Amino acid sequence: MLSDDELLRGAREGDEAAFTALYRRRQGAVYRFALHMSGDAAISEDVTQEVFLALLEGGGRFDPSRGSLLSFLYGIARNLLVRRLGAKQPKEYTEEPAADDDVLEDLTRRETIEAVRSAVLSLPAQYREAVVLCDLESASYEDAAAALECPVGTVRSRLSRGRGMLAQKLAAKAVRSLS
Amino acid sequence: MSEERVLEALRALAANDCEREAPPAVEARLLHKFRARHSSRKWRWAGIAAIAAGSVLAVSLSMNHVTKPEVSVPAPVMPVPLPAAPVAEAEVPAVRKVVRKMARPQAHEVVTEFFPLIDSAPPFERGQMLRVQLPAAAMRTVGLPVREDHLADPIQADVLVGEEGMPRAIRFVRFDVQ
Repeated sequence: MLSDDELLRGAREGDEAAFTALYRRRQGAVYRFALHMSGDAAISEDVTQEVFLALLEGGGRFDPSRGSLLSFLYGIARNLLVRRLGAKQPKEYTEEPAADDDVLEDLTRRETIEAVRSAVLSLPAQYREAVVLCDLESASYEDAAAALECPVGTVRSRLSRGRGMLAQKLAAKAVRSLS
Repeated sequence: MSEERVLEALRALAANDCEREAPPAVEARLLHKFRARHSSRKWRWAGIAAIAAGSVLAVSLSMNHVTKPEVSVPAPVMPVPLPAAPVAEAEVPAVRKVVRKMARPQAHEVVTEFFPLIDSAPPFERGQMLRVQLPAAAMRTVGLPVREDHLADPIQADVLVGEEGMPRAIRFVRFDVQ
């Protein structure tokens, strides 16, 4: 299987199959990152498209010594999201239930998931991006640091702080639902 | 709530969303843009290359025409048996080559910057530069202004070709006579 770097090289030389393979391999991660950061499917769709267009136009700026291609893509997505969202808090995003789900069992699970999603979306951006990259997308600290353009130590501390804030928010939500 | 519980909750969210992807329409739009981008680039270079090749051919044909004098070919002669006695070789007068030096004014070469022909090329390591002659209209392909009445004027250009054979960049040359 060709590496991301090899596919990128092919794509930049006009190889459509290489571009398609690279897009299919990485679009999900970029889309989910945008979705968890913005809570908006339309914005996530636009951001994903713009990330890969930017890759075609500015792929030459990618430097493998500074991080993986995925972290480069996250970095582009992050900049686009900052431009789109600005200081706005993202809107809450609720998934449509599937028709064939077992209703009762699914309700509890779905409530939990939506509570976590909502808590993540309510985090300040700098903590949210660390939690989304490291905990939801399983990015390494190094990749997250390359994407967020900060030292690994900063990623660790933001992640720790973000998790702490999530714990408080989820606990408060649990108390509210019990009462 | 403990950190372990938080991580568990995050894992549940990650597992729930792990198959979320951009809709297929995004891929279709990107491929459309990719094709448009690369076909226009191919045509842009193909245009310049065709003009350059035509110019080089025209120049080389005209050079041949100018430099090679017409030679009258004698009619074939039937072989004649050589005489048995040795014959002294006739002295052939040496042909003196006359080189005429023309007093030419000094031409000073002024070049533009290099304009990339490929937007996202791999890093240039080795290659060669080819001097070609193009109509001035070629300057418009890189955004340089050319007056309508000068579009057909010949102009020299340097094409930078990478070692993989791809033309990377072009610059235009003007000669200022001093």
